[in-house]
Amino acid sequence: MSARFIECLDVGKTYQGRNGAVEALRGVSLSCAEGEFVCLLGLSGCGKSTLLQMIAGLETPSTGQIIVAGRELDGPSPATSIVFQDHGLFPWMSVQANVEFNMKARGVARAERRARAAEMLDLTGLAGFAARYPHELSGGMRQRVGIARALTTRPRALLMDEPFGALDAQTRGHLQRELLDIWARQRTTVLFVTHSIDEAVFLADRILVFTPRPGQLAAVVGVDLPRPRDPRSEGFAALSRQLRGMLGTEGGAE
Amino acid sequence: MRIGRFVGLVPLLGLILLWQGAVWAQIYPPVLLPAPMKVLGAFGGHGGEILANTMASLQRVAIGIGLAFVVGVPAGLLIGRFAVLDRLFDWSIQTFRSIPPISLIPMAMLFFGIGDQPAIVLIFLAGLWPLLLNTIFGVRGIERTLLKVAAAAGAGEALILRDIILPAALPNIFTGLRLAVGGGWLTVVTAEMIAVKSGLGYMILNAQMTFRPELIFAGIIVIGVVGLLGDFGVQRIRRLACSWQEGLTANAT
Repeated sequence: MSARFIECLDVGKTYQGRNGAVEALRGVSLSCAEGEFVCLLGLSGCGKSTLLQMIAGLETPSTGQIIVAGRELDGPSPATSIVFQDHGLFPWMSVQANVEFNMKARGVARAERRARAAEMLDLTGLAGFAARYPHELSGGMRQRVGIARALTTRPRALLMDEPFGALDAQTRGHLQRELLDIWARQRTTVLFVTHSIDEAVFLADRILVFTPRPGQLAAVVGVDLPRPRDPRSEGFAALSRQLRGMLGTEGGAE
Repeated sequence: MRIGRFVGLVPLLGLILLWQGAVWAQIYPPVLLPAPMKVLGAFGGHGGEILANTMASLQRVAIGIGLAFVVGVPAGLLIGRFAVLDRLFDWSIQTFRSIPPISLIPMAMLFFGIGDQPAIVLIFLAGLWPLLLNTIFGVRGIERTLLKVAAAAGAGEALILRDIILPAALPNIFTGLRLAVGGGWLTVVTAEMIAVKSGLGYMILNAQMTFRPELIFAGIIVIGVVGLLGDFGVQRIRRLACSWQEGLTANAT
């Protein structure tokens, strides 16, 4: 287990917009230990998704460097897998083909693909849905497919970009608990972007708080509440209050 | 209220009644406007001739549009995928697609003489632009997250083109094919009136010169019906190939 499995050193991102340069992220340094569950919390426009996309190798930082599994990134690392809010499922592929896609891209042989896909469909509660198409599934089921697909390449870190942001509260709660279960079983590192304080407190070992314009890492808050966590407990409420103050939204960021 | 499938025939039948009425009223002399029954008779009397010419026209359209598909779709996928190619070819495409294929008949005859070749070249051109442009359009419309998924998974360019770009563009490719088949059918008839010695276009022109108006009408009817059936055919294939689209769009017919 490496204490610095994912490391960002003074990472910044500036976009060249039509009306001049826009600084999305400035001077972010952080590290994430292997097996850790870290939430990136902030209001919209604070650059947290941008940072995640850079760690996924989908965008390059304008300044600084990102190291994943001991190597500086020059593109997507095989050690990570990303899950998007709008799931990114291919509508013309069955659930089976969707789940196999990442393995196909990495050149995994067909028999091996079948076996691993079945394993992950089982893990995410999708056994029996392999032949369905995405439009036949509910939002929660679709995101399960997205997670199953991300897990098939046995990533050492799962990068999740507001994966439950588009779901209703009840489905969201279900999937949060399932994700913690998967995390406990697979022992993967999870980097989880969210704008929901409650979600971050429920899930994370550590919360990285971001503030906007330009996006900056404002604080790092450790969560030492025992798991499984109870959102109605005293400690949960106190931590949520503290974070609410940091984000500068008394009314909450829900 | 559920409307029957064949309700689309009603206006067509109405038109035939109107035609019969015009014949009875003798608005035009019967040598110019033959009665519907007489035209129907032409299908019996000239059945072989009509069939042979229809097959000749169909064959040209099939070859021309087939070539346009084989060239236009892969080119469209690449141009839509790579911005460099788009910048390189955009002006050329916009220039050439504005030229009606018919206007190229004289040149095609100079280069290829009289026969199948000039017709097929013109049909190819009539089909190429709608296929190319709609394919490009389809590739551009792809959801960005899907490309991110592929990039994050480390997918190679060949896999991205085959498993993501092509299926994503398929509904638009079929729109292009529909327009191409329609345009190709229009073009073949015109080309046959000038540059070929067989086919429905030639048959109609020949019927005019030998003064057989019922054969002119029969030819026109065949052209219309084949056009309609061609459109049905393309739509049917589209429904089979894009069945995953059902339930995604409001009007996925």
